[in-house]
Amino acid sequence: MKFAYYPGCSAKGSSADYEKSTQAVCAALGIHLEELPGWNCCGSTPAHAVDTELSAALCARNLDIAAREQAETVLTPCPSCLSNLRHAAKRMENPQFRARVDELLDTPAAAHFPEVTSVMQGIARVYDANAIAAQVKKSLKGVRLAAYYGCLMSRPPEVMDFGDPENPTLMESLLSACGAEMVDFPLKTACCGASFGIPERVMTARNSGRILELATQLGVDAVVVACPLCQMNLDLRQKQAAKEADAFFRMPVLYFTQMMGLAFGIAPEHLGLEKLRVSADELLRKIDGAQAGEGDR
Amino acid sequence: MRIGVFICHCGSNIGGTVDCAKVAEIARGFPDVVYADDPMYTCAEPGQAAIEAAIHEHRLDGVVVASCTPRMHEPTFRRTVERAGLNRYMFEMANIREHVSWIGRDKEANTNKAAELVRLAVEKLRNNKPLAAKSFDVTKKVLVIGGGVAGIQAALDCADGGVPVILVEREATIGGKMAKLDKTFPTVDCSACILGPKMVDVAQHPNITLYAYSEVEDISGYVGNFTVKIRKRATYVDWSKCTGCGACTEKCPSKKTPDAFNEFTGPTTAITIAFPQAIPKKAVINAAHCRQFVKGKCGVCAKICPTGAISYDMQDEIVTEEVGSIVAATGYDLMDWTVYEEYGGGRYPDVITSLQYERIMSASGPTGGHIVRPSDGREPQKVVFIQCVGSRDRSVGRPYCSGFCCMYTAKQAVLTKDHIPNSQSYVFYMDIRAPGKMYDEFTRRAVEEYGTEYIRGRVSSIYPDGNGQYVVMGVDTLLGEPVEIRADLVVLAVGIEASKGSPQLAEKLRISYDHYGFFMESHVKLKPVETNTAGVFLAGVCQGAKDIPASVAQGSAAAAKVLALFARDKLESDPQIAQVDIRRCVNCGKCIRCCPFGAIKEVEIRGEGKAQVIETVCQGCGLCTATCPQGAIQLSHATDNQILAEVNALCQC
Amino acid sequence: MPVLKGKELRIVGFLCNWCSYGGADTAGVARAGQPTDLRIIRVPCSGRVDPLFIVKALLNGADGVLVSGCHPRDCHYAAGNFYARRRLEVLKQFLPVLGIDDRRFEYTWVSASEGQRWQQVVTVFTERIHKLGPAPRLEDAEPLLKMADMALTSLRPLGTGQTAALDQLKEAIKAKLPELECVIGWQQGYDGAHTVPLFMKTPEDVDKLIWGPFNVNNPAVYLPSFKGKKVGIVVKGCDSRSVVELLQENLIRREDVTIFALPCEGTLDMARVNQTLGRYSKIDKVTYDEAGVTITADGKEHRFCMTDCAQGKCYGCTTPMAVLADMRAGQPVKVEPGSRTPPELALLDSMSLEERMAFWRGQMERCLRCYACRNACPMCVCRDFCVSDSRDPHWMSQEDSTREKLFFQTIHALHLAGRCTGCGECQRACPVGIPILALRQQIARAVGQLFDDYKAGLNPTAVPPLLGYELEEKNIHERDWK
Repeated sequence: MKFAYYPGCSAKGSSADYEKSTQAVCAALGIHLEELPGWNCCGSTPAHAVDTELSAALCARNLDIAAREQAETVLTPCPSCLSNLRHAAKRMENPQFRARVDELLDTPAAAHFPEVTSVMQGIARVYDANAIAAQVKKSLKGVRLAAYYGCLMSRPPEVMDFGDPENPTLMESLLSACGAEMVDFPLKTACCGASFGIPERVMTARNSGRILELATQLGVDAVVVACPLCQMNLDLRQKQAAKEADAFFRMPVLYFTQMMGLAFGIAPEHLGLEKLRVSADELLRKIDGAQAGEGDR
Repeated sequence: MRIGVFICHCGSNIGGTVDCAKVAEIARGFPDVVYADDPMYTCAEPGQAAIEAAIHEHRLDGVVVASCTPRMHEPTFRRTVERAGLNRYMFEMANIREHVSWIGRDKEANTNKAAELVRLAVEKLRNNKPLAAKSFDVTKKVLVIGGGVAGIQAALDCADGGVPVILVEREATIGGKMAKLDKTFPTVDCSACILGPKMVDVAQHPNITLYAYSEVEDISGYVGNFTVKIRKRATYVDWSKCTGCGACTEKCPSKKTPDAFNEFTGPTTAITIAFPQAIPKKAVINAAHCRQFVKGKCGVCAKICPTGAISYDMQDEIVTEEVGSIVAATGYDLMDWTVYEEYGGGRYPDVITSLQYERIMSASGPTGGHIVRPSDGREPQKVVFIQCVGSRDRSVGRPYCSGFCCMYTAKQAVLTKDHIPNSQSYVFYMDIRAPGKMYDEFTRRAVEEYGTEYIRGRVSSIYPDGNGQYVVMGVDTLLGEPVEIRADLVVLAVGIEASKGSPQLAEKLRISYDHYGFFMESHVKLKPVETNTAGVFLAGVCQGAKDIPASVAQGSAAAAKVLALFARDKLESDPQIAQVDIRRCVNCGKCIRCCPFGAIKEVEIRGEGKAQVIETVCQGCGLCTATCPQGAIQLSHATDNQILAEVNALCQC
Repeated sequence: MPVLKGKELRIVGFLCNWCSYGGADTAGVARAGQPTDLRIIRVPCSGRVDPLFIVKALLNGADGVLVSGCHPRDCHYAAGNFYARRRLEVLKQFLPVLGIDDRRFEYTWVSASEGQRWQQVVTVFTERIHKLGPAPRLEDAEPLLKMADMALTSLRPLGTGQTAALDQLKEAIKAKLPELECVIGWQQGYDGAHTVPLFMKTPEDVDKLIWGPFNVNNPAVYLPSFKGKKVGIVVKGCDSRSVVELLQENLIRREDVTIFALPCEGTLDMARVNQTLGRYSKIDKVTYDEAGVTITADGKEHRFCMTDCAQGKCYGCTTPMAVLADMRAGQPVKVEPGSRTPPELALLDSMSLEERMAFWRGQMERCLRCYACRNACPMCVCRDFCVSDSRDPHWMSQEDSTREKLFFQTIHALHLAGRCTGCGECQRACPVGIPILALRQQIARAVGQLFDDYKAGLNPTAVPPLLGYELEEKNIHERDWK
């Protein structure tokens, strides 16, 4: 199975581990990701907040490349990229808007854009739970996980098409297939503070703290995420969050691709686990222990 | 013919954008028009008098009034021409207000259009024939559908007026939603104590026949003569023998049966009497949970019953009743609030509906009136009430206000404090809607005397904090700040919708209903009890959200309508019905096949089969006329020739 | 009265009293501004709207017609709008065959509370009609005469039927004759190339019965006049469908009719035969072979091959053997699966809307208004009470205009909606050879496409689609008013 692939800027920097594990998991599943040639930044958080047309132009260029590559579906790991690309495609349905965006581009964008969806949905589209389970070499049995989607993945529902906007369950079904025990995590679509990490540090720490606090309370072994910014806020800023919440956290925050990779028996170094600020060693021991236990029986 | 035309100015309503004098002048040139005038207010007394005078003076045998919609004043003017000695069907209206002056800005175009509509009316009138109404007998008996407080009131008032009443209730007991309430606002008196006596009156009234645990299966007929089929669902208990002693419910081993009366806040037994004051106080077996039915063996209740009332092989029974009028009082249900995933979508045990909270507070409820949390039986200290869950929320397709939630939320906050003095209640609200007698004062009391904290804003999410409490995250829009409350119990004021099955019942009654299943009244302001189907009246929340006093008032209003209808021994049939030209009829049966009312039958006339219209059954839709290729069946007052006259007036190349 | 020149077009609305008329009132109360073109005719129910009112309006100067009723399931009369939906949809699909743009007619549902929707509907529809401009008038069209191309391959073998088991059938008729008033069939007419109806009462009459490609007329047309009497009838496959349709419509009784059938091998298109024969004084001889007939007229031989000269309907015939019979003689015929667009309809399909209107203008100029089409139609049972010459109802004037003639053809076609078996007698009987069958064929095609491939005259107990409805129509979709 082949998909066009839009990695997004963070994949090349802050979330290199997400990129690494995405590539590793997709390779293991036989999903070939073809990176769009000459892609550019989607505009990230600032662009669309300042000028929707400029933001759409940035995305339209990427979508145009994908259309010229004759891609049917473009996958992207990052919810923010996904949101921008999908919003742009949706807005471009309006001919007046499209005309204004075309003005900003060197050549008018393709009339029809390929569909853009998340890597998570792309995997789920090709493999059902049974097929995923068949790939599992190291079951996550006995591992308690909280799936945390962040605020962006499922919202707004009319653009994102990601199940119930308040209670998406796709990550749970993928990781359950890997053997993990998924807790009902009520804050799965709450905001981590997102890009306010710098201008509103306290608020971000509070938001992230709330998520970490509940996860700790629920006794999970790790929080699993699908967004580079969520991962950064929950992992990198965990101490700030702990301070603000007057608590102590030691909660590994892994990408779902990293968790799946572990279940597929991919070595941690090929999944970028060393980049985690909060170590996942205990989690790894637990997974290995479970394996050993399985072996004994 | 000698036709008179009256072009109404309706003050400036029509006169403002239509040159009425010119329309009258044009009308004078129409065939058969011998008189035309443009009065200021035609419907006013002088206007009507002028019509009568003109009929006499100019020997008119037909009148056209161009004014507002015929849906408003056609009956008025028909009476006017009748007073002057004309047949009431020798009258036509042109709607030059709603369809002309109010929607068009161009005076020239409006004037021309008005003149054309007058022309249509004149051409129609030239093909009109005097029609005479026939009278028919009325069955002076009323069917009340729904035994909530509105239906109870309607039934009692009709029965007191001497009219036999058939009261059909879907549940095993009457009382409806009010019977489930603990106390009522704004007096905080006991709901069961004020409703109970009325329920007993229903049971004891000689004029009332109660069919509980029954549903309306089919309705046919017309005002004065409806035939109703009622399905008496099998209760598996012979109610003629059951004394309501309750011995069976004590001994029933299926103790985990879901309890619908208690809104599923606690279990009950498979054989059950809904609550102590139930009317009728008879036991019913829930076959889906009864061991005898599920496993094929048990029979405990049959053994224990002192009167031998248990009958496991009972079947549904259909009874037929003839009535002259119907009152629909089918009430409401709560909308499915589990669409609110942000409130847990029904996954959190201590996030409950207001109606569940009523049952928890009620002395006859599952906890005996002790307020405790469903999850662990602990007494809650902090209770959060969230209003407008499924009301005024377009995102879940519920744009309307459910009306009474503001008041009962205040009441529940007050009662919470009464039950648990050291508790603290919070109410998230959008607006406080308290426009009733002593209502606003009551909500003030909840705030000022009971210390309820009202927070203006919506709740964005509720989640369990893992320590047994729930984090309620909302916003205070007055302070412009996010609010976070750790609550022990969250009560949702869930919005209402028409009760389940309302659209289906509306179709049986042939009345209209809106997108949410509420029944449509005949006129929003002036006919709030009537429907567009003669003889069918509405009471209570089935027509739209309203509280108990309003429901009771509407119940009485519906009863007044029924009694007024039955004050006459005979009703007049509408002569606007289909008629068969037997020379043209070839008895092909196409009209019989598609008549929605079964109003056409085959008869033998001089050895030949012919179609015949049953005059009292025909409703005048004209489907048969459009179906008959022979043109043999014509709807009086909307014949082919009358409509063709209008088409020809407009379309003559 | 004329419309305001340059400002308005003639738009007629038929609104049901309970929902849409109320919706228009609600729009008025809300002062929801609308274009002024529309003139509203109030009817009790959308089910009251005979599609012919609409055709009448469109043929006589309306530029657009709008019908609006209660929403499905919300009809004041329970089901009137369900029937209307089917009939109006059939009409919409029929109009183009007359050369009328179907966008000029629309139907929709507006409830009494939907003032805003009504405003939207009126505005959008009026804009649409203004975009289309004034409707072309039949009178203004330049007459266009075109002939259908009859060269077709048939779905089953065509022949002359001379090997049919006629003698066996005759024996069967003779055996049954004592119980019957008469048996209807064909006998030779004034020469070997023509047949006339035969009413067999004695065994000698039965010997006159013939079978072959000249048995063109449909004997079912006589059945209703025998209603209540026991009669027999000899049928071709197509004739049997008329019998079935008459049974379905309660116009004859099954126990009264005995049906005798032989497999039909096709009948000749006499119009084409006569054209080839030209003017002649006498038919000398007619000889048959397996594939055709040779007619000697005034000493000159003309051969007519069945595959070239059959009636248009024979090529697409899928019922060479009667669909219902009490006595069948001969072997069943193999029919290829598939369907054929009848040649008359194919001709109209190939034309533009303007050409179609011009075509009917030209054809209707030739119409004599003799009503032979009506008299030959087995489904036309009104006889003395035909709406064409009735005053109550007064659908048509006696004016000899192409408009009135075309309107009569439309009345006939719409009255046959879901009932016409396509026997083609109307067209065959036309003394001036107008291909009027095309109008009936278009209706039958629309009915078939909309309602599960329904064909009239196959099942005496079927519910004809226009006398029934579904709550959700599979093939009828609500239109968008954005």
